[in-house]
Amino acid sequence: MKVKQVSAVLNPPAPHMVGDGFRVHNFFPSGYKLKMSPFFLLDYNAKIEFSARNQPRGVGVHPHRGFETVTIAYSGAVAHHDSAGNSGIIYPGDIQWMTAASGILHKEYHEEQFSKKGGTFQMVQLWVNLPAAFKMSTPKYQGIKQSELQKFPLPNGGGTIEIIAGTYNSVNGSATTFSPIEMYNARLNKDADVNFSFPATYNTAFIVIEGKVKINNTEIANADQLIHFKNEGEEISLFAEENSVVLILSGQPINEPIAQYGPFLMNTPEEIQQAIADYNHGKFGYLEE
Amino acid sequence: MLDKFANYLKNRLAITQEQAEEAVSCLKIKTIKKGQILLNPGDLKSEAYFVNSGLLRYFSIDEKGKEHIIQFAPEDWMMSDRDTSVFNEPSMFYIDAIEDTEVVIVKKDFFPAIKNIVPEILELNILMLHNSIRFMQKRLNMLLSATAEQRYLDFIKLYPNLTLRVPQWMIASYLGITPESLSRVRKDLAKKHFK
Repeated sequence: MKVKQVSAVLNPPAPHMVGDGFRVHNFFPSGYKLKMSPFFLLDYNAKIEFSARNQPRGVGVHPHRGFETVTIAYSGAVAHHDSAGNSGIIYPGDIQWMTAASGILHKEYHEEQFSKKGGTFQMVQLWVNLPAAFKMSTPKYQGIKQSELQKFPLPNGGGTIEIIAGTYNSVNGSATTFSPIEMYNARLNKDADVNFSFPATYNTAFIVIEGKVKINNTEIANADQLIHFKNEGEEISLFAEENSVVLILSGQPINEPIAQYGPFLMNTPEEIQQAIADYNHGKFGYLEE
Repeated sequence: MLDKFANYLKNRLAITQEQAEEAVSCLKIKTIKKGQILLNPGDLKSEAYFVNSGLLRYFSIDEKGKEHIIQFAPEDWMMSDRDTSVFNEPSMFYIDAIEDTEVVIVKKDFFPAIKNIVPEILELNILMLHNSIRFMQKRLNMLLSATAEQRYLDFIKLYPNLTLRVPQWMIASYLGITPESLSRVRKDLAKKHFK
């Protein structure tokens, strides 16, 4: 087994607002051109203080088709409602895995109590592509509480690996996926030393949410940086220089054509036109603002 | 970037790539930030705008401060206020950018000036004028006679992707209905079509 080498340690690109509730650094596809399929987009809301407000900030009703949105909360709380009738609130440590598939309308706002008090807000939102065979499947919602997340305790009090999806040390992740995906939160105590192994073909990136880490005994990465790996080798070592939280992403690429327009992610331009027409004609259902 | 406007001319006239490029070579590009105003009531500007990228809005504001949207211009659309661009009279309308926008500024003298390079351009100008009148006739009829649903269905045919780019209240303003009516229309369509 060979070491999977780091291809780059990247700073967060300049932030932009999504609605008025999310101030995000888009690492890809627009911030950096990275080979990351099946992950299509990564918006990172680095730590930010929101002032108290009665009317929650957020993003109003909007559609999605052809992929999944995965929201991982680190600080603050978000409420979700969708046209399939699902709703939920995610608090720090919780995961919301929404399969838009054939089409959904949803809205995301700061949870009411959080909004009223204000405070620190930190989240990751990923767009996970779906293989063509599942793009028009039935929408689905997996709300996974911190207490329900599958965990692997590291030896010698090194911390915990929370397995969101995939398998780590024989522990299967909590979410079900449509293509092979490994997604973990590594919550590491200072001096913890952890190893990961992903196939060379898998596209892989780590995001340092908190702290400071050393990768493969060479590269240092600080909070808010993304570490991107080459498609060579399998083994990665992660050493915590400080108490750290690292989001681990690795997945088998979906080698299919991509056509994207706004909130739709399909295989062909014709499917995009169809998605726009279907949305305009109410085929995604209805959701009150 | 003038090649989009050159292509626009080439697709509508029997001219070569070189002729199209020569015709547009004298034109200027302008970039406008989201929310920035390009034309104010009272302005005298003898120019029209071809949208390279982004989205323009042509509107008025009534005595109560309410906005009325006459037209949207996404990519590949031309927008102008005839008062000022043709008749040298002060504009009564606003043009602003709903998104960060890049336009080609087409001055009033553009069409006569390049007729030596592209004689057919005058015919195109007349055709564009007729097209614009046809558009306004249809729009007038919609506003006078159509139901809210018919107006919305006509809108999504003309501007399929604007429902993803423009807030609901602006679409309602364009359709001459309240945002509540637009919500009702969309809800009724969902009831009919959502399985």
